[in-house]
Amino acid sequence: MVNLTIDGKKITVKKNATIYEAAQEAGIHIPVLCYAKKLLPYGACRVCLVEVEQMKGRLIPSCTTPVTEGMVVTTTSDEIQKVRKTVLEFLLVNHVVDCPVCDKGGECDLQDLTYEFEVVKNRFEGVKFDLPKDEVNPLIERNMNRCVLCGKCVRVCDEIVAYGSYSFINRGFETKIATAFDRGLNCEFCGQCVSMCPVGAILPRPFKFKARPWQLKEVDSVCGYCGNGCTVTLGVKDNKVETIRFNDKTGVNDGNLCIRGRFGYSYVNSEERLQKPLLRKDGALVEVSWNEALEAVVAGFNGAKNAGGVGILSGARLTNEEFHLLKKLAGTLGSTNLDHSGGECYKGLTEGLQETLGLTASTGTFPQVEECDVILSIRSDFYETHPVFGMVINQAVKRNEAQLIVVADKKGKFGTLPHAATLLAKPGLEVNILNAMAAVLIEEGLAVTEGVENLDALKASLAEYAVDKVAAESGVAAEALRKAARQLAAAKKSAILLAYGLPYSANSKELGIAAANLSILSGNAGREGSGLYLCGEKANSQGAIDLQVLPGQGGLGAQAMLAAAGEGKLGALYVIGEDPLTSYPDRAKVEAALAKAKFVVVQDLFLSPTAEQADVVLPAVSFAEKDGTFTNAERRIQRVRPGVTRPGEARSDAEIFTALGALFGSTLSYTGPAAIFADLAQAVPGYAGIDFTAIGAQGVVWGGEQLAPTRKKVVPVAGGKPVTSAFQLVTGSALYHSGTMSTRAKGPLAVIPEPYLELGREDAAALKVAEGDLLKLKGNGVELQLKAKIGNRLPKGVVFAPYHFASAGINRLYRGEAAVSVEVSK
Amino acid sequence: MSNAAEQVEQEEIDLTGANQVIDKYLDMHGALMPVLQEIQEVYGYVPEPCVHLVAERLNVYSSQIYGVLTFYAQFHLEPRGKYIVRVCMGTACHVKGAGRIGDTLKDRLGVGHAETTEDLKFTAEYVACIGACGMAPVIMVNDATYGSMTVNKMNEVIDKYVKMD
Repeated sequence: MVNLTIDGKKITVKKNATIYEAAQEAGIHIPVLCYAKKLLPYGACRVCLVEVEQMKGRLIPSCTTPVTEGMVVTTTSDEIQKVRKTVLEFLLVNHVVDCPVCDKGGECDLQDLTYEFEVVKNRFEGVKFDLPKDEVNPLIERNMNRCVLCGKCVRVCDEIVAYGSYSFINRGFETKIATAFDRGLNCEFCGQCVSMCPVGAILPRPFKFKARPWQLKEVDSVCGYCGNGCTVTLGVKDNKVETIRFNDKTGVNDGNLCIRGRFGYSYVNSEERLQKPLLRKDGALVEVSWNEALEAVVAGFNGAKNAGGVGILSGARLTNEEFHLLKKLAGTLGSTNLDHSGGECYKGLTEGLQETLGLTASTGTFPQVEECDVILSIRSDFYETHPVFGMVINQAVKRNEAQLIVVADKKGKFGTLPHAATLLAKPGLEVNILNAMAAVLIEEGLAVTEGVENLDALKASLAEYAVDKVAAESGVAAEALRKAARQLAAAKKSAILLAYGLPYSANSKELGIAAANLSILSGNAGREGSGLYLCGEKANSQGAIDLQVLPGQGGLGAQAMLAAAGEGKLGALYVIGEDPLTSYPDRAKVEAALAKAKFVVVQDLFLSPTAEQADVVLPAVSFAEKDGTFTNAERRIQRVRPGVTRPGEARSDAEIFTALGALFGSTLSYTGPAAIFADLAQAVPGYAGIDFTAIGAQGVVWGGEQLAPTRKKVVPVAGGKPVTSAFQLVTGSALYHSGTMSTRAKGPLAVIPEPYLELGREDAAALKVAEGDLLKLKGNGVELQLKAKIGNRLPKGVVFAPYHFASAGINRLYRGEAAVSVEVSK
Repeated sequence: MSNAAEQVEQEEIDLTGANQVIDKYLDMHGALMPVLQEIQEVYGYVPEPCVHLVAERLNVYSSQIYGVLTFYAQFHLEPRGKYIVRVCMGTACHVKGAGRIGDTLKDRLGVGHAETTEDLKFTAEYVACIGACGMAPVIMVNDATYGSMTVNKMNEVIDKYVKMD
């Protein structure tokens, strides 16, 4: 700790604080333009100059100067005010003052400072900037005539997003911020630069002329897309979500968001939202009253009782409270056929981790990863599924020089980070790679063996996964495998990451076990600051597992349900917030199930392809219209708050479950989400003692920052065999989309409007394919046509297609395999 | 594919030379400047595909490289002429009519400051003092210096180089 005096006030702060941070802590105001809490000190704008007794003769930038013992600081004096005013005058020489039509008006730092320092006239004259605007993309508009060259966008894009869209170009008076070759923006469109810009130089286009900042009602909620659990602050005007506001005070994400969180909210306001229940009459779905729809559901479910019962397929974007009510409803219906993910991709947690560590959740929290010295990411898709957690990893690598190892079948964002090692393997061999790493640990005596059960069985099984053998079949260099294992063993704090989700159904259990084995052997399991992260694809994937939205005793899982329905052995199918036809592996199986099931109810926001096949469609509400809690992939329980009222007669899932329960004779009724949470907290072990009303800005991490394994049992696990065909298709998530919901949102659609087939440059050249050409994709007896997208990510022979689009029919071809043998031709 | 980005046609060039330059500096930290300088020596300018290649192989952002290239006057992003005609615009040359010399060049070859003729033969550059004020106004063509220029002399010099290959 360091003692110093600011404006006569004695202050004690931590050793590495800057003068500005010390003043902030003491509640002393120093104006800034280029400072941002989450970025490294920069000192570009000179608005924060202060006087330091020990450094007389010049003014000192407070945001870049570290405190020293006994420092005496003056933050305001006539001289300082004069200098700050001059700085502002300089900035206003070329700055185009178009506040009346600038969307930043009212929350612009330059405007506020000009007001604060009463800069009413300018002693200097110069030419106003007259640079062309960048309006190429529909999401981010750049008007460099308003730029003050604070460099925040350049820094955030480098330090946190690690994409590097921007740089200062030219020199002297001509300096401006631009992309490479001064073209329109073409990037991840996460909008981090938008949230950082202190003026109106970078603005969200969808928000143009929608509202003045002070007219917006701000509601803190949790993003409804992925398992990252980012806080999104909805900017609401006239009952419409008009924008997402910057907020770095709440939640785990530090104000960082990805394209989905920042620009993917428009589906909430969509005209296509279901507003009334629909019932199939004479072959067509017609709007009916809730009473009629619910009666039809009751009749249908009653009819199903003796015909195989009801199967319930839920999505993973319901709140915890709704999951709890769904469990109760399933009990009332007497059905144990309950599941929440079509590919059963959560098995890495529910079976893999359960068997090895005795847990069903990630063991650490996201912020811890920033301090790790070794990070192992299994599958490169982690950044695509959880971009904001990906940004934490970017910072760990870029700021704290963590060593990053990526086990992947395609190159990805992580591989471009400094000193990242990508172990590029043939598709479907991740388990083999992890086994080989485990073998190295044991062979070289690096493995932690104390208190580890079942070690001998594992040793015996690893004989098959000798490093050289795995290296030969996977294409990864043996030395790279050895080095990765050694790094992991030598780490004081390590993180092992694995994302799971619908397009990653293959080997989910095996991967979970292999990751846990590695975690145990490398000493990662149970060590302070280390963590094993198995992260779900959807906003409440972890909640679904915590609340056991899983097949009960003797119940059928998702795939078994679909198979039974397809054989006519299931009476009714109740699908909630999922679009199995689009997103589940093996569409033929889902089609058969929907066709043969005697009665199908779909509860969703939109008339999805699945809903079109239903007998009854119930209109539900989105995350922005709900009250409750989500549990993110690091076990953080956070409040979801309603920002807008629901469209038409749509009802929340909770209300629908309660109403249905009552019709089936349940007497349960709750006063609201707080009461339901109190009830579920008694039923769910980790949630005991958590009070709904006490969930604060940072949420509550159940089980604490570090979840200790209850046992350490290594389990032998079999790897895959390489696919030998000339081309192999892997499916997965595109960075810009999440599940099927984002295909209803304008932002993500603006960047990726349609399905595509991605292939590497080498293959594209061999096939003589250009960007955008139609390609034929044949495999599993199915032929599809997709537009080609050519990139640097894919090795020779591997093609990739994202799974989000209903029209693509990727799941006609993909049936849950790690890689599908396909033929690709023009 | 995406309609959020403008489509840019990339020029086709042989990247062998650039790759050889990068190979030399691959293990050296912070070698961006010499890499760019040597690439310019190979191609006469820094072609865009080389920028992306350097970005990928040295793991720096293309935007950052573009920032460096536009900061230093020594780098050129467009092909340059075989003969670089530097017209001195320093004080002494200026008062002795350097403007007219520049205009003559513009009239004859159609190129103003930092412009290159379409046949890639001439590039004009108006520069600050060359350091030969005693023979103002001065021009340089590549390494050759011509002093005490007049409009007529300028025409003769241009004729001489137009005839050359």
